[in-house]
Amino acid sequence: MMLIRPIRSSDLDDLYAMASSAGSGLTTLPADTERLAARIELSERSFAQKVPIERGNYMFALEDTEAERMVGVSAIEAQIGIDTVWYNYRVSQCVNSSREIGVHTINHTLYLTNDLTGSSEVCSLLLDKNYRTIEGPRRGTNGRLLSKCRFLFMREFPNLFSDKVIAEMRGYSNAQGQSPFWDALGRKFFHMEFTQADYLSGSGNKSFVAELMPKYPIYLAFLPQSARDVVGRVHDNTRPALEMLKREGFNHNGLVDIFDAGPIMESFVRNVRAVRESAMRQALISKHPPEEDDSGRYYLVSNCGMAHFRCVLVAAAAVKFDTVALSDEEASSLEVSMGDPLRVIPMRYTEN
Amino acid sequence: MILIRPCRAGDLAGIEAVVNANTTLISSVPHDREKLSERIDHSRRSFEQDPDVEGGEFFLFVMEDTESGEILGTSGISMNRDRSRPFYSYRFDELIHSSPKLGVHSAVPVLYLTHELTGKSVLCGLSVRESLRDTEYFELLSRSRLLFMRQFRDLFSDEVVVEMQGVHEDKNSAFWDSLGRHFFNLDFATADYYSSIKSRTFIAEMMPQHPIYVSLLSEEAQAVIGQVDPGAEPAHRLLLREGFKASPYFDIFDGGPTLKAELDSLQSLRLAKDKQARCGQVYTGVRYLVSNQSFEDFRCSFAQITDGMGDIIRLDSTIADSLNIADGDTISYVTL
Repeated sequence: MMLIRPIRSSDLDDLYAMASSAGSGLTTLPADTERLAARIELSERSFAQKVPIERGNYMFALEDTEAERMVGVSAIEAQIGIDTVWYNYRVSQCVNSSREIGVHTINHTLYLTNDLTGSSEVCSLLLDKNYRTIEGPRRGTNGRLLSKCRFLFMREFPNLFSDKVIAEMRGYSNAQGQSPFWDALGRKFFHMEFTQADYLSGSGNKSFVAELMPKYPIYLAFLPQSARDVVGRVHDNTRPALEMLKREGFNHNGLVDIFDAGPIMESFVRNVRAVRESAMRQALISKHPPEEDDSGRYYLVSNCGMAHFRCVLVAAAAVKFDTVALSDEEASSLEVSMGDPLRVIPMRYTEN
Repeated sequence: MILIRPCRAGDLAGIEAVVNANTTLISSVPHDREKLSERIDHSRRSFEQDPDVEGGEFFLFVMEDTESGEILGTSGISMNRDRSRPFYSYRFDELIHSSPKLGVHSAVPVLYLTHELTGKSVLCGLSVRESLRDTEYFELLSRSRLLFMRQFRDLFSDEVVVEMQGVHEDKNSAFWDSLGRHFFNLDFATADYYSSIKSRTFIAEMMPQHPIYVSLLSEEAQAVIGQVDPGAEPAHRLLLREGFKASPYFDIFDGGPTLKAELDSLQSLRLAKDKQARCGQVYTGVRYLVSNQSFEDFRCSFAQITDGMGDIIRLDSTIADSLNIADGDTISYVTL
């Protein structure tokens, strides 16, 4: 069974293995044992409510309970830009117009901003490639479980988070891993490869950004077409994640990553569909819960817990008007007893 | 005889013939007839010290062949103290982007749009018949202005500037194509033309307001920043010899350099002298630039004189007549 639970220090090796194979583009999970261990520790302390609210960082592990192995991870950062500086480019328009000479031109500019400081962020989603189901009724379930469990958690504990939640989307790079945006802009100021800048940024020290980043707005017109084309464009591998966030009600807010120009998606927490539409049920532990069918319809079910937060998928047929029928195994994974409250949300929205 | 004098309304056709024959535009002496006529009138009012043009005075001189009445060239001085016409330049600066931890240290060149040179007198409007380019007549045109400035020193700022034409190819500028064109949506020739005939308003409206990172411009554009067009090289050399120096300021359209100098440090001002003229026949001597000391009827030309010990200097009567110098008048002169 696939189970979401808070990450533990014993997951370090699995996390390191996943981070190592992820390649560039995931700045928040650099393949560095020390840093990963620190992140796990921060997460454990966050779930235990032993850190100030604004420093909370909650990491969710997807565990294959049979293999007893962590095969995926996702996280929520309570407030970004609190202990490091959070940079984005804002894509703005500037219009130059003169009646006297009859010319009206529109140019796009990139403004360096810290506008997202204080927002909550959903981030660090990684799934072992052997668990990326692409066919059958269970296609995409693991990715959705990892992504959406966070919204159930946020719905449960709104006071831990900001009003606004954002997600950084990995920007476009070609098959060789080269980012045309970086090559046209960042490289000229940082004098290093994208992967190195990416790694440094992920390792948390942003001083080098303050030291080397151009502070004045950048006119897009000065960049080559290849770079202009990818401003706000996601990496091909990130497209499914982008679509999922859009279905949750996230919008591109006009901000992009300063290194690869990947888009920032944003929503008010209360407007996220999984937050709005999640519903409460009671656990009904049953010897014969409804069998999984071929419809591909599932619900995420969480136990409403904090340090003991758990979330699993159940067949849609198990979710009734006011109960969720759980097998013994599901109930024990969720650490719930008969009659305990559960929060549920459809894995897929019906029109999708 | 060839001499310099303030331009007059009747010079319109003559000036037009000179500037139209020039391949490049001189923004202070426009090709447009109506605008040119306005500029000539502006100059007339400046020489008449019309209070309406105070601060924005523009003195336009012509070089005339007095025998044929032909206009051979123009040169001008703009007071540039008129707040309704801000003087635009790019100031070239370098920011140091340094990360000691990463060992990355680089100088990042940036162009800042500035009006800092507003208020400084500008030498401008230099044009000459192609055949006289690179001759001493060119020097006469350019340096006579400095004798004028020396005599009426209080009118002018302590620092003076000259904009040199940037590198052009077939009426195009690589600097413009990489920068201005994105905002003005005009080719260089049209923008340049507009800048000579329109108010500054369109520049305020169209210029990008943020500093420009030079490294993001095309390589061709980067290469011509601060470079003088080969056609303007003679004028450039002359100004350097005169004591002008390169500055951090560049033209906003073509990236050509703006030269700067302390007015009093210029050769023509340092070396010029004043003496009383004794008119008559002169048989020997060295060629000098000689001018009268009139404001409204300033004149300047070449004359052979011998600079002796006394306060009196002999000057050829014909030349004196042409320069409106009467016996006993004080004249100014400077070596070539």
